[in-house]
Amino acid sequence: MQVVITPRDERTQPTRIVPGYPQTPWRNPTQPLVRRAPTLSELTGPLQVARRVQLLGGDIAGRGEKQAIGQLMQLRLSVVDEDGAPVGGSVVEVWQANAAGRYIHPNDDDHAPVDVNFYGAARLATDAGGLLELRTVKPGAYPVPTNDGWWRPPHIHFSVFGKVWLQRLVTQMYFPGEPLNAQDRIFNAVPDVAARGRLVARLLPPTGEPRNALVYEHRIVLRGRRATPSQP
Amino acid sequence: MNIPTGEATLGPFFPPRYVDAGASDLTQLAGRKARGEAIEIVGCVRQEDGTPLDNLIVEIWQADAQGIYRHPADPRHAEADPDFLGWGRAATDKAGHYAFRTIRPGAPEGRAPHLSVMVMFSGLMRILRTTMFFPGDPANDADPALAAVPAARRALLVAREEAPGRYRFDLKLRGEHETPFFDD
Repeated sequence: MQVVITPRDERTQPTRIVPGYPQTPWRNPTQPLVRRAPTLSELTGPLQVARRVQLLGGDIAGRGEKQAIGQLMQLRLSVVDEDGAPVGGSVVEVWQANAAGRYIHPNDDDHAPVDVNFYGAARLATDAGGLLELRTVKPGAYPVPTNDGWWRPPHIHFSVFGKVWLQRLVTQMYFPGEPLNAQDRIFNAVPDVAARGRLVARLLPPTGEPRNALVYEHRIVLRGRRATPSQP
Repeated sequence: MNIPTGEATLGPFFPPRYVDAGASDLTQLAGRKARGEAIEIVGCVRQEDGTPLDNLIVEIWQADAQGIYRHPADPRHAEADPDFLGWGRAATDKAGHYAFRTIRPGAPEGRAPHLSVMVMFSGLMRILRTTMFFPGDPANDADPALAAVPAARRALLVAREEAPGRYRFDLKLRGEHETPFFDD
């Protein structure tokens, strides 16, 4: 399995320094990034992550008396490469706030209530078709502690492994029609409007199945194409 | 249109349970020991003003003791050590320290022995990628990635052996002694 990686269009990727995001000017390099040709070290990668870190189930909304509070939703996530080919067997880590906008994390000292039935983390692998399904509740918005009125819109975090080291991706997914999207500094750090639009999930028309849950669909494109086999 | 998805920061709330117990120990797999010399990689991660960074995620990827990657793109992968995955994850503590136990990698084809290192954190909109080399290895001089780094900054990618088998690779994300990061 050979993967070819080419540079991305920078306008489709976030700027490193983000105005109004106070940590970014302290932590991003000032020196130009070093260009090098990828070698085997970058064009291989861990394929058996799940033997090192455990997969966790894809239902984080809970059921019955253990059901989390919030709008139930089913997320259909598809992971493909730049050929549009499904990336099967990729580990995907998911984490999100609860419906009130609170994370279960020692760093989150926000006032919003904890939901004892919601931890907000799943670790799954895509099937052979590059798909996975997550049953969760829609995350709430929350204020960022910058004291200048910045709120994060509802969003879900993903960490995706792919098949080679240069495909590793950390990203966030947003929800359609959220007024806070237009003001979010992280969402808007991607200069290209169309690229930002691709960070927003699509709400599917309700069909009655699954009952009580809204269904969203989202697509993640990892870097890389399959190398064309050389002709003998 | 299959344009790669935009990256985003890991944020401050990466779940603690994602840094699983044992995720930073690459020397064994399911109770079986990997072949080769066990070593430790330790370091401190700091931002521009020198403040150590807490709860930052470091991941490494490396070849086994024979320099083979456990991945089908490596022509030698059939001979890869079955008890070595090559991947690990650690989080920094309040003092900015991270630590891995691993196996001294062999030299992959055309490269000096090295570890691929990535850093993910709040305030980093993009993954930062760098490479750690071993001190005194004669193959370093011919390594293409190290050669791509301006000569005056190369030493920043070479770990220091602070005790036998323990290598220190400190990371400075910005400012004085800034770690060279790669555009890939």
